[in-house]
Amino acid sequence: MTDCSVETSELSYSFSDQEIVIHGIGLRVPAGSIYGFLGPNGAGKTTTLRLLLGLLRKQRGTISFFGLPFREHRIDILRRVGSLIETPSLYSHLSASENLELLRLIHQCPRSRILEALKLVGLQDTGPKKAGQFSLGMKQRLSIAVAILHEPSLLILDEPTNGLDPNGMIEVRELLKRLNSERGMTILVSSHLLAEIDKLVSHVGVINKGRLVFQGTLDGFKQGRELSRAVILDTGDPARTILILAEHGVHSRLEEGKVIMTPLANDQIALVNRWLVTAGIDVYGISAVRGDLESVFMELINT
Amino acid sequence: MTPSFVRSLQSEWMKKRGSLASWIIVAGAFFTPAIVTIARILHAERLQELTAADDFWMKLWTSSWESMAIFLLPMGVILATSLITQIEYKNNTWKQLHTLPLSLTAVFFSKLAVILVMLVEFFALFNLGIYLSGVLPVLVTGGAAYPKAAIPWTTFLREDALYFVDCLPIVALQYLVSLRFKNFLVPVGAGFLLWIGALGALRWTYGYFIPYTYCIFNYLKTGVDTKAVIPAVNIHLFAAGYFACFTLAGYILYITKREKG
Repeated sequence: MTDCSVETSELSYSFSDQEIVIHGIGLRVPAGSIYGFLGPNGAGKTTTLRLLLGLLRKQRGTISFFGLPFREHRIDILRRVGSLIETPSLYSHLSASENLELLRLIHQCPRSRILEALKLVGLQDTGPKKAGQFSLGMKQRLSIAVAILHEPSLLILDEPTNGLDPNGMIEVRELLKRLNSERGMTILVSSHLLAEIDKLVSHVGVINKGRLVFQGTLDGFKQGRELSRAVILDTGDPARTILILAEHGVHSRLEEGKVIMTPLANDQIALVNRWLVTAGIDVYGISAVRGDLESVFMELINT
Repeated sequence: MTPSFVRSLQSEWMKKRGSLASWIIVAGAFFTPAIVTIARILHAERLQELTAADDFWMKLWTSSWESMAIFLLPMGVILATSLITQIEYKNNTWKQLHTLPLSLTAVFFSKLAVILVMLVEFFALFNLGIYLSGVLPVLVTGGAAYPKAAIPWTTFLREDALYFVDCLPIVALQYLVSLRFKNFLVPVGAGFLLWIGALGALRWTYGYFIPYTYCIFNYLKTGVDTKAVIPAVNIHLFAAGYFACFTLAGYILYITKREKG
């Protein structure tokens, strides 16, 4: 038995000899987690997810789901996986329930699952309306219904909130949380909407230029980057500021004309201000580098 | 047949419901009979003589197949086969299809099976159309008796079977090309060029090597006055051989495709 729903090792892929897009990725998606797969555009998120699902032929490395190698157990694994990759995949000449019916025939799940899945995404009243006439948000929600129709153990979703309005995004987020907590579905979700990921995931993997640059819990991701909460001092004499801080045992450095200090408590920041004013140094501003997911992420991918 | 193939076939059959490919089958099957029906109603004065003839049904059959064998059937097969794979391209659903718990073999052969069943459906509807074009003018105009000749069912069924076999190379090659290329114009354009090539090769001694000629040769063998060189070989065997080769090639290319959606 394994505690990972998805595990890869040394996964690499190139579209040509000159263009290697994935470099030795070792993904570990813990069972029962909501794993946010983050990265800037072109980082290799979608390519990685397509490799996982067998949509691209693997070139190097290993892929396993639920402890089983993908190549040898492809069909058994896909029975337990639901997916949505990039744009919605729907038959535009068929209605929402017909789209689900033709997949139900493959998955052999009860007919009642169609209405359940449609209700979960709020599309139970679309009747005979063709999917081609749906708005992008409705198509996205129907695609999620397609992914969850057979109640998979693992959901792989690539940018599932694309095209949704803020209300739709909240609904999808709540739906995914519910599927995770109530039905125990493991969810691997890629997104570039960091605020969404921040509110949704328990684990994070960050990919940049085809390399996995971080992997772990969301809390670990933020705490492990405590330095990003450094304090910035804007003073009239940065060089003397650094000397005065050193005299008081505070480490600092000069960056682009400003003094950067290690994280300090609020009362210590006030003390530093008094030292500088007493020494006759003009203090124009004191600010803390934001410690939210976005700044941590930006720091990570710019490293 | 594996359960996986049967499920895939059911799903594929449902997909083509209401699609352009399914409408082409119906429209193509009834096009020529509709023309014949209208022409006979407009020239009702000739009906009496026509329906009294002993070879009424054979003449109707031959005239109905003329445009069908030479033009409508090859072009219809080219279009319908390409449109079946276009359902996936147009809707961006290959990636969805390839992440279902189905083997690639089941997907490939279930789609091919749907095309072949549609072809059978087409022949059934065309035969029905021929029958209706024989009796409707009589019923509508009331100016002639019901055709006295018996319908030569066995001849019709045998010829249907031969035309079906003769279409198979077109189905398999069009299927191969349309699985490889996302752009609809590629398989349709390639099919059209091969059909033009087939027409040009009718007078060539070895024209029967071109896989799109067999429907046309099967029609011309009936003694229609033509300058075509009717092959002395069994063209139906050639058609079956080409079908097997193209299907195998298409299958290998499909399962080894690097990107599957």
